[in-house]
Amino acid sequence: QRVEIHKLRQGENLILGFSIGGGIDQDPSQNPFSEDKTDKGIYVTRVSEGGPAEIAGLQIGDKIMQVNGWDMTMVTHDQARKRLTKRSEEVVRLLVTRQSLQKAVQQSMLS
Amino acid sequence: MQDRLHILEDLNMLYIRQMALSLEDTELQRKLDHEIRMREGACKLLAACSQREQALEATKSLLVCNSRILSYMGELQRRKEAQVLRKTGRRPSDSGPPAERSPCRGQVCISDLRIPLMWKDTEYFKNKGDLHRWAVFLLLQIGEHIQDTEMILVDRTLTDISFQNNVLFAEAGPDFELRLELYGACVEEEGALAGAPKRLATKLSSSLGRSSGRRVRASLETAGGSGSSPILLPTPAVGGPRYHLLAHTTLTLAAVQDGFRTHDLTLASHEENPAWLPLYGSVCCRLVAQPFCMTQPTSSGILKVQQAGELQDWVRVHGVLKGTNLFCYRQPEDTDTGEEPLFTIAINKETRVRAGELDQAVGRPFTMSISNQYGEDEVTHTLQAESRGALQSWMEALWQLFFDMSQWKQCCDEIMKIETPAPRKPPQVLAKQGSLYHEMAIEPLDDIAAVTDILAQREGTRLETPPPWLAVFTDQPALPDPCSPASVAPTPAQTHSLPWGRPRTFSLDAVPPDHSPGASHSVAPLPPKRSPQSRGLCSKGPPHTWLQSPV
Repeated sequence: QRVEIHKLRQGENLILGFSIGGGIDQDPSQNPFSEDKTDKGIYVTRVSEGGPAEIAGLQIGDKIMQVNGWDMTMVTHDQARKRLTKRSEEVVRLLVTRQSLQKAVQQSMLS
Repeated sequence: MQDRLHILEDLNMLYIRQMALSLEDTELQRKLDHEIRMREGACKLLAACSQREQALEATKSLLVCNSRILSYMGELQRRKEAQVLRKTGRRPSDSGPPAERSPCRGQVCISDLRIPLMWKDTEYFKNKGDLHRWAVFLLLQIGEHIQDTEMILVDRTLTDISFQNNVLFAEAGPDFELRLELYGACVEEEGALAGAPKRLATKLSSSLGRSSGRRVRASLETAGGSGSSPILLPTPAVGGPRYHLLAHTTLTLAAVQDGFRTHDLTLASHEENPAWLPLYGSVCCRLVAQPFCMTQPTSSGILKVQQAGELQDWVRVHGVLKGTNLFCYRQPEDTDTGEEPLFTIAINKETRVRAGELDQAVGRPFTMSISNQYGEDEVTHTLQAESRGALQSWMEALWQLFFDMSQWKQCCDEIMKIETPAPRKPPQVLAKQGSLYHEMAIEPLDDIAAVTDILAQREGTRLETPPPWLAVFTDQPALPDPCSPASVAPTPAQTHSLPWGRPRTFSLDAVPPDHSPGASHSVAPLPPKRSPQSRGLCSKGPPHTWLQSPV
């Protein structure tokens, strides 16, 4: 699923309105959203109400695969955070995947 | 001659103490006294210790104390001069321009120091089996503050010298100069090499006649002492280890960056020097600076802010100027409770501030406006202070902030993180280091328990998990480590991950892991005696956290 988020200006910062968890330097077994507990990808852990992320359709539990073309499946937590908070970018385009999407894909493959 | 030197030494100490007293500079005086006492203690320790490693540590302390004493003395002299100048030069024509703005101070921290070495292959072929070792440490100086790193033993199995210390200087100006000096000494007794000057000295003294010979001998003895002027603070023991300056460099604000950088070293010694180490010629480190204007609030007070766009709607807030932001809280208490501010106004190099009567604020005195450029738009906030005095102090604080930003340059873009240095471990009695290959004679060839026992005794509790190399003998897969050093040649059965911190590349002499059965003592060299600290990605072992950050 492709999600396009326009950042909101808040004072000095451009914020997206969600929180991320995960990374290759983190302990994946503590991730409440992943099905596979060795998945070290970046997951959306919280979406602020009324924030740009929610408006754009991002959901909690989404796994972020790409940000503006940059891969997010093999990055550290800090690298992920930096890629999302680049000051020069007003819009971030995320490629995310969701449990429901994954199941739909699996089902269509089986049938 | 020795007596005369002692008398001179005492006189010097007296002079130093008198100077400190006369200046009535209690803080510097206290520090000086402390160093003098430390120095006496180090001298006594040096005279009393028998082992070479202890002597090295004591000599290092002595060198550090000497350097500190000299720098404090220099500072005392400077202050004394300044005091005298102030008292005498008080004429109207002499009064210079009005007090100039001075930039705020800041903390400077240098960490992750690493100096690469460049061993020549002759080093291996020349002294085979005889591991030549050196003791090295760094001396870091800003102004009159000197700090030292721990002493590290270096031999030809290491490809670089890594210091795990975080050295923090609590107060430095943006024009700081961080002088870095690398000192080294031979661990082994300076046998044939050092004997030469002594033999020469005895020859000279006997051939020159008694009195002049004795003078020459005395000067030879005290020359080459720990880098400081010999007559002032002579080194006590001639036979003790001697540190030589191997390299130095000076770092300034331009070198500060939130990341690792490589700087050139000026090499100061050459091959004939017994303590010479083949340095590659550069040093890598992370030098960061936190100016106080970024970490501490510089101004706070009540402000009325006009909501951008709405002419009549003014909000009363408690403003706090900190770093590159003006935080506007609903109440003064919010700053402590951790509440989010109502809104934040950015103040950076491109912000424009105007004061006085403004068009947007007709009829309202004591206003100022802050404008920022966001892409194509310009956002202006208009603020009203409570009184003329309050407006003045806000403007003053803002001008000071702009000045600080211009002085501290890249340090004001973002706050650079400084890790609080871990409490210094007390200097441990150094066990003679070497690879297991050299030292352990394991009689019962396959007695794994004996090996681990010996290691455990030596290392203390550092080996928490059974070392992965144990797997070599028990034919079990080694524990997967997120970062196995790339340079260890992957052998077919098990890739061998090492239990300590930063991955080390092994030079020619290091014994590679040998998987042939029956070769009981061919294992990798002993890990360095420092316990691995978590640094960076590779050294944490299995991660225990699952961090979340807002974006």
